[in-house]
Amino acid sequence: MEIARNILYGLSVVVQPVNLLWLTFGCIMGSIVGMLPGIGPATGIALLLPMTFVLKPAAALIMMCAIYYGAMFGGSRCSILLNIPGDASSVVSCFDGYPMTLKGQAEAALAISALASFIGQMAAALAAMVAALPITRFALRFGPPEYFTLMVCALAATTSLAQDSLLKGFISLMLGLMITTIGIDLQSGVQRFVFGIPELQMGIEFVVVIIGLYAVTEILENYKTLSSTGDTPMQTKFGRIWVSKEQWRRSIGPILRQTPIGFLIGILPGTGGTIATMMAYNNEKQISKHPEEFGKGAIEGLAAPEAANNSCSIGAILPMITLGVPGSGTAAIMLGALMIAGLQPGPLLFQHHPEIAWGIIASMFVGAIVCLIVNLPLAGLLVRLLAIPPRIMYPLILAISFLGVYTAGFSTVDLYLLTIFGLLGYFMRKHEIPSAPLILAVVIGSPLEQSFRQSLMLSDGSLRIFARSGISVTLLALAVGSVVFPFASAWLRKRRQQPTAVSH
Amino acid sequence: MNTMSCRRFAKLVVAISMALTCCVLGGVVSNAAEKTYPNRAFEFIAPAGPGGGWDTTIRMVARVLGEQRIITQPMPVMNKPGGGGGVALAYLQTKKGDPYEVAVYSPPLLLIRLTGQTELSYKDVTPIARLICDYGAFAVPKNSPYNTINDVMDALKKNPKSVKIAGTSSPGSMDHIQFLQAAKVAGVTNIRSIQYIPFQGGEGLAALMGGHVDMLTTGMAETVGPMESGDIRVLAITAPARIKEGAMAKVPTLRELGIATDFVNWRGLFGPPGMPDYAVEYLSNALAQMVQTSQWKEICARNGWAEAFLGPKEFVQFLETTNQEYRSLLEDVGLLAAK
Repeated sequence: MEIARNILYGLSVVVQPVNLLWLTFGCIMGSIVGMLPGIGPATGIALLLPMTFVLKPAAALIMMCAIYYGAMFGGSRCSILLNIPGDASSVVSCFDGYPMTLKGQAEAALAISALASFIGQMAAALAAMVAALPITRFALRFGPPEYFTLMVCALAATTSLAQDSLLKGFISLMLGLMITTIGIDLQSGVQRFVFGIPELQMGIEFVVVIIGLYAVTEILENYKTLSSTGDTPMQTKFGRIWVSKEQWRRSIGPILRQTPIGFLIGILPGTGGTIATMMAYNNEKQISKHPEEFGKGAIEGLAAPEAANNSCSIGAILPMITLGVPGSGTAAIMLGALMIAGLQPGPLLFQHHPEIAWGIIASMFVGAIVCLIVNLPLAGLLVRLLAIPPRIMYPLILAISFLGVYTAGFSTVDLYLLTIFGLLGYFMRKHEIPSAPLILAVVIGSPLEQSFRQSLMLSDGSLRIFARSGISVTLLALAVGSVVFPFASAWLRKRRQQPTAVSH
Repeated sequence: MNTMSCRRFAKLVVAISMALTCCVLGGVVSNAAEKTYPNRAFEFIAPAGPGGGWDTTIRMVARVLGEQRIITQPMPVMNKPGGGGGVALAYLQTKKGDPYEVAVYSPPLLLIRLTGQTELSYKDVTPIARLICDYGAFAVPKNSPYNTINDVMDALKKNPKSVKIAGTSSPGSMDHIQFLQAAKVAGVTNIRSIQYIPFQGGEGLAALMGGHVDMLTTGMAETVGPMESGDIRVLAITAPARIKEGAMAKVPTLRELGIATDFVNWRGLFGPPGMPDYAVEYLSNALAQMVQTSQWKEICARNGWAEAFLGPKEFVQFLETTNQEYRSLLEDVGLLAAK
């Protein structure tokens, strides 16, 4: 009963006109910054930070959270329509979202992405309301060895996606891990591969890699057909942004299955949307009856990561409110804003400032509805991007990409890197080397290395620490399983077919 | 307001601002730069991304200076993250002698030079004023066997590897140094063997709360929330005297526990190399005025900052002694790169 009372109290805070106004503003802003390549929620919130000083703390926090999950709604728009992800967590949406657009199903893809985000967020917000504190306490059981095994598991799963050529998958993975060794080694303070360039000391920002590998590569690839009208006829007629009954039936299962996974991964400080979406996609592919359709426009391959992405973003906000531990870079900025407002995040926030703690949690619920209302008509407008001829569209994208990367770090070195990664991406596409393992490796390579070395320092060098808890043993088993499973099932299928093959 | 009066109001604003501009421009022509300073917008630099300590400090400074009308020129804040502040330091070198560039720095300004992250040092900037101080804290999980910081030190004396110490920044940076200093003064002989495990941001706190590490060395502000909720215990802080108000008033200082040292995380403002004296004087006077305002005092209280104003001359001396202290500590643990 107390929970119901708290929820109602939280809702009463959110529906105050001022808060509702800033919530809506945050949702719209978030959807927009999410869409623009390079400008993610962290940059969006940082840009608006000075504004939050003059707002009441509740309104400011509600707005910042809205920008965060709003960006998760908006992030996949360009993935679906142009094969250009706005952020690391929307890379996976390219896998099946863009093929759907090529098949003329852009409307359905945009609709399912918004619906999946909506359901994922609603479910996660519900879980947050009921059990925010116990769930975040459980997350504390994750120490360095558990983080390490979780990341190994995610890498194994993503690399095994490239099952036609596991070798190419591993090449991509290793390249990604190598990129993350650039910069100051956080464990010893030693500089690695910096070559005297101070901008490289903090390593290469993964946004640069993603935008280079997708946006710049996409443009390089289409350069030849840029002036001609191209082989693919441009879409000029657009349908309603909605899904058919059949598409809905295929999507709802994956959405409901992958939402809890995204939520749990989100709660762990330091992991994030990329792991959640990659794992959600891989899980669905593994258990699907038609894994061969994945990557060719299977709607469940889009629905699953979209749901996981939003539930993950809700999860990532929770440790900041409940424990005072920021779960991501974006959450760290929000934590800073809380403290500037004179509030101390942590379990006591629920007692000292219930209007803020419960207000934020309830706003996620209301925010999901607002985002859906904002995003469906927005998608109807955005889908018309497909009618813009490439010779106008691509230079625009290129300009926005460079601008976005610059605003993320205010460094001109990033612009050179962007060009280099664009060329690398082009090379990889020509040789059919998958880019997903590289992206994931770049995002989690540094934490992977850190947690490995932290673990070994804790155990005085014994590798046995990686088997110290049920969590890490399970994750390691899953990692092995996800690499072996596709081979095993293919081998079994072949064996069953063998008698017929031998008989002729 | 109807459109008519709106338009009239706008015209008035335009007229006034044009008149003001003429005055300012006339001033430039007739007087030397020194007399009219400041006559254009400043550029305030936060050498890190938004939301952190540096960013918060300089934004608050700009806000109070502006709102109290102490400086009437605009003071937009620009973030120049990277290299632990080294990128902004390199940027300041390109602005030699510019009286309109102001950056905020703290101990990393000295440390990144000593550990070899950059060739530039505090001698390549112009100290304007020290503003505030913050202190470090040493915390353990709630069910830790260590009840005082002396217990930790005793365990380290027996076996320097027996306590796993986590920090939220890389080796040779503040979190690491503040603990080494305490350990050295407490009589731990082999401080080089102490295991320091660096974490990123909030992950250190999470590892402590989950009981994965034995002790966390970090900034005071980060520990307040989890300490109030009983998830962690703060054994000691590095302040020279006990904090008077708030939750931290219950926590003893190192000195009270017989470890005669303190560690100050100071923050101050700096200009580019060769900043003209008139600019340093103007700015340090403005800041001296600012720290007297109730608005500034309120901001300090809210963020747990101790007021610690030092003018340019004293600040330079302070930097020199502090640099020596850091140097000898880093030498003890073999992290000193600069000779």
